[in-house]
Amino acid sequence: MSTPPAAAVSGSAAARHHVTVHGRPDGPVVLLVHGFGSDQQVWRPLLPAFTGEHRVVLVDQAGAGRFDAGTYDRERYSTLDGYADDLVDVCEELDLRDVVVVAHSVSSMIAARAALRAPERFRQLVMLAPSARYTDDPATGYDGGFSTEDVEELLASLDHNYLAWTAAVGPMIMGNPDRPELGEEFAGSFRRLHPGTARDFARATFLADSRELLTRVQVPTLVLQCRDDALAPESATREVAARLPRATLVDLDASGHCPHVSAPAETASVVLAHLPGRP
Amino acid sequence: MTAVDTPTSSPAEGLPGGFEALFENAPCGYLTTTDGGVVTRVNETFLTWSGHRREDLVGSAFGRLLPVGDRILWSTHSAPQLGTTGGVSEVVVEVVAADRSRLPALVTATRVPARGGAEAEVRIVVFSAPERRAHEQELIAALHRVEEADDRRAAAEADARRRALEDPLTGLPNRAGLTGHLASALAGPGSPVAVLVVDLDHFTVVNESLGTPAGDELLVTVAQRLRTSVRESATVARLSADEFVVVDRCDADGARELAERLLEPLTAPVVLDGLEVVVSASIGAVVAAPGPGSAERALHDAGVAMHRAKARGRGRVEVHDPHRTDATVDRLRLLGELRRGIADGELRVHYQPRVAVHDGSVAGVEALVRWQHPVRGLLAPVEFIDLAEQSGLVRELGARVLDTAVEQAARWARDPGTPAIEVAVNLSTRQLTDPGLVGSVTATLNRHGLDPHLLVLEVTETALVNDPEAAAATLAALKDLGVGIAVDDFGTGYASLTYLQRFPVDELKIDRSFVTGLGVNDGDTAIVRTCVQLAHGVGVRAVAEGVETRAQLDALAAMGCDYVQGYFFSRPLTVQALQEWVRSR
Repeated sequence: MSTPPAAAVSGSAAARHHVTVHGRPDGPVVLLVHGFGSDQQVWRPLLPAFTGEHRVVLVDQAGAGRFDAGTYDRERYSTLDGYADDLVDVCEELDLRDVVVVAHSVSSMIAARAALRAPERFRQLVMLAPSARYTDDPATGYDGGFSTEDVEELLASLDHNYLAWTAAVGPMIMGNPDRPELGEEFAGSFRRLHPGTARDFARATFLADSRELLTRVQVPTLVLQCRDDALAPESATREVAARLPRATLVDLDASGHCPHVSAPAETASVVLAHLPGRP
Repeated sequence: MTAVDTPTSSPAEGLPGGFEALFENAPCGYLTTTDGGVVTRVNETFLTWSGHRREDLVGSAFGRLLPVGDRILWSTHSAPQLGTTGGVSEVVVEVVAADRSRLPALVTATRVPARGGAEAEVRIVVFSAPERRAHEQELIAALHRVEEADDRRAAAEADARRRALEDPLTGLPNRAGLTGHLASALAGPGSPVAVLVVDLDHFTVVNESLGTPAGDELLVTVAQRLRTSVRESATVARLSADEFVVVDRCDADGARELAERLLEPLTAPVVLDGLEVVVSASIGAVVAAPGPGSAERALHDAGVAMHRAKARGRGRVEVHDPHRTDATVDRLRLLGELRRGIADGELRVHYQPRVAVHDGSVAGVEALVRWQHPVRGLLAPVEFIDLAEQSGLVRELGARVLDTAVEQAARWARDPGTPAIEVAVNLSTRQLTDPGLVGSVTATLNRHGLDPHLLVLEVTETALVNDPEAAAATLAALKDLGVGIAVDDFGTGYASLTYLQRFPVDELKIDRSFVTGLGVNDGDTAIVRTCVQLAHGVGVRAVAEGVETRAQLDALAAMGCDYVQGYFFSRPLTVQALQEWVRSR
C-alpha cells in the first residue's frame, strides 16, 4: 500500500495527537477517528478512497499510537468527554470547518460529544458500528451485548487482553503479509502504548451511557451497521439511529466490528455516497 | 498407507472412520464458522474438552465461547485480520467451558473465501495450552514490573522537569516555565494575549529591615494573592526577586482592568514578624503582538511600562501603547548607540573661542563635544549628555573629550605660528566624584606633554554642592597639578560665596541665561553685575557665555568682565575652521 503524502502539522493539540493531513489541501475536511485499541494507522485501507477529493485529517487519540504520552492526564481521560474535548481542540487549532467526522465504534460517541460541544464545526457524523451503551440495561430492556458481569470481568482482565493485543495487532492492521516489517514497526509503536491508558479508555468506554445525549445531536449522522457484530449488536446500533434526531441507518454487507479494515471498499463507497456536496 | 495407492478409493476410506473420524477425534479442537463467526461444525475433541453440547454450539457465535475481554479482542483484531490476511495463528485466549471454568488455549484459524456455490468458511483449531497460559502470566508480571519501573522513572523525570520550570519558593512557574506558557499561548490562534509585569514597590526595604525570611513570606503571600485574583486559565509566574508576571487572554482594555484589579489585593496589609506591612506594586501591561519573538518582546514592553509606572509615582498601572514611540525604549536604544558610537570614534570635539574683553585677543577655547550620529547627523550635547550622565557612560565620554582636547592644545602649544591658548574642558558630576580623576588628568597631560596651566577644567555649581568635601579635595589636587578650575553655569545653582571661598577656583562662568537678558531685563543685568563683582571680590576671572550682540558685549565690558564667548564672535568650530577664523581676524 502506498503511503499518501502527509503534511506534518505543528501546534500544541495537533502535535499531541500526532495529526497528519492527507489528500487535497482545498478539499472538504474528513476527520477519521479510530476506535479502542488501535490508532490512525487503522485507516490505511480506507484512506485512498478519500484522498482524491478530500482533505483527510487523522489523529491518534489519547494513549494511542504516537500520542504525546507526556501529556496524558488520567483525570481528563476518565470519561469520554476528555477525548471529545481533544477532537474539538484539534478542530479549533487547525480551524477545521464543515468537518465530516468518520468515527469507529466508541469514537462515534466521542464524536457525538464533540458535535454537542462545537456544533458549528461539524457538517456530518459517520458512525461505524456504534453503540451508545455496551452494557445491557434490564430496566429498559436494552440489549447492549454485554452483561454487567461481562463488563466487570472485562475491566478486571484488561491486562491479559493488552498483552494479547500487542502480539495480534501488528500484522492485522497492516494487512500486508508481503511486507511484514511494516507490521513489526507498527506492533512496536503499539507496545509503546501504556496499558494504563488502555484501562482508562476501556473504563470510559464500557461505563458510558450516551443514549440520552444522542437525542440532542443536531448534526446529520450516517449510522453504519455490520452483520454479526459481537461488540455492537444490531439492537445497539439501531438504538443509536433511533435516538439521533437526524440519522440515516445503512446496513453493510460487511460482517464483524471493523468494516473499515475487513471491507474498506464497501465502507468507503457507502460513506462517499452519503457525503454532502461541497459546502 | 496402502489406501493411497488404491486409485478407486478416496484417501479417507483407507482410515478407520475416514477423515470424518480424523476430524472428530483429532488431537485438538476443530470448529468451522461462517464468515460472520456462526459455528457450523465442531469436533468431539472440542466438545469433550469444553463440556459443551454440539446442539448448543452450532448456530451460535464463536465469540460467545470467549470471555468478554477475549471476545472484544477477537472481534476488533482477529476477525478483521482473518478477512484481510486469511489467517491468524496462536492467538492466546481462554475458552469458557460448560461449567464456566476458563480453559487456556491457543487459537489458529484460516479463512477459505467463497468459491463456486460454497460460502466463505473459517476453520478454527483450538489447542489446549495451560503451560502457555502460565508462561503468559509470567510475561505479564514481568511486563508490569518493567512498566512500574518505567512509571517511577517517568514520574521522577516529570518531577525534575516540573521543578526546572518552577520557582521553589512560591511554586509558580519561573522564567523558563513562563516562557513555555507564553510561547504556547502565543503560538495558536485565539483571542489576544495580555502580559502584565507586576513589581513590588520598595521590596528591598522589607528584605533589609525585616530580613530575608520575612521578605520570602511576603513574596509567598503576594503569589497567593495574585493566583486567587486571576482566572483559572491565567498564568501567574515569578520572574525574579519581586517581579511577577500575569498572562491572560484579553485586549488592552481588559489588561488595564485586570492590572487595576490586581493592585487592590496587593496593597492589603501583610503581617510579617508581628509588624503590619503595607506594600504596593507597579504594573506594566502589554497586549502581545503576534509574530516571531513576540514572547520576549511582550515581556520587555511590559517591563518598560512597569518602570514607567514606577517613574510616575509607583502603585499604579501603565499600559504599553504600541503606536507611541516609547521614550524609555528610545532612551535605551540611544544609549546602546552612544556606547557603540564612543567605541567607534563618532565623538567630535569642537572649539568655541573665548575673547579677552580688554583687547579682543583670543585668550582660549572651550572644548565642546559633538556626536557624529551615523543616521541623525551631528548631535549637540543637549541630545545625549544627560543620558550619558545618568548611565555612567559619561566617564568614558569625558575621558575621550579630555584626551582629544589636551592633545589638540598640546599641538597648538608646540606650533610656533600660533600663540599658546588655554583649552577649557567640561567635567561632569560623575567625573568629579570619580576617585581616578586626578590620576587620569595627570596621565593625559603627561601623555601629550601639555603645560597644565593651559588646561582649564569646568565644573558645574551643582557638582560642587553635591559633596562639597570630596569636591574640594579633588579640585585642590587638580589645582596642585597646575590646572585651572572654572565654575560653569554660575548663578543657576546654589553655590554661595562661602563655597566659592572654599574651592580653589580660578574663574566664574556666568550662565548664558543671564547674559541674554543683559540690557533687556533689569534683574538679569543686576545678576551679571553681581557675578562679575563677586568673581573679582574673591580674586578670580569673570567669563560670560552666550554673548550674541554688540550691546551685550558693551555692557559686559562696562562691568569689567574679563573674557567673553558666544555667537557674536563665533560658534563652536572644528580645529581647521577655528584656525581659519583666528587667521581671518
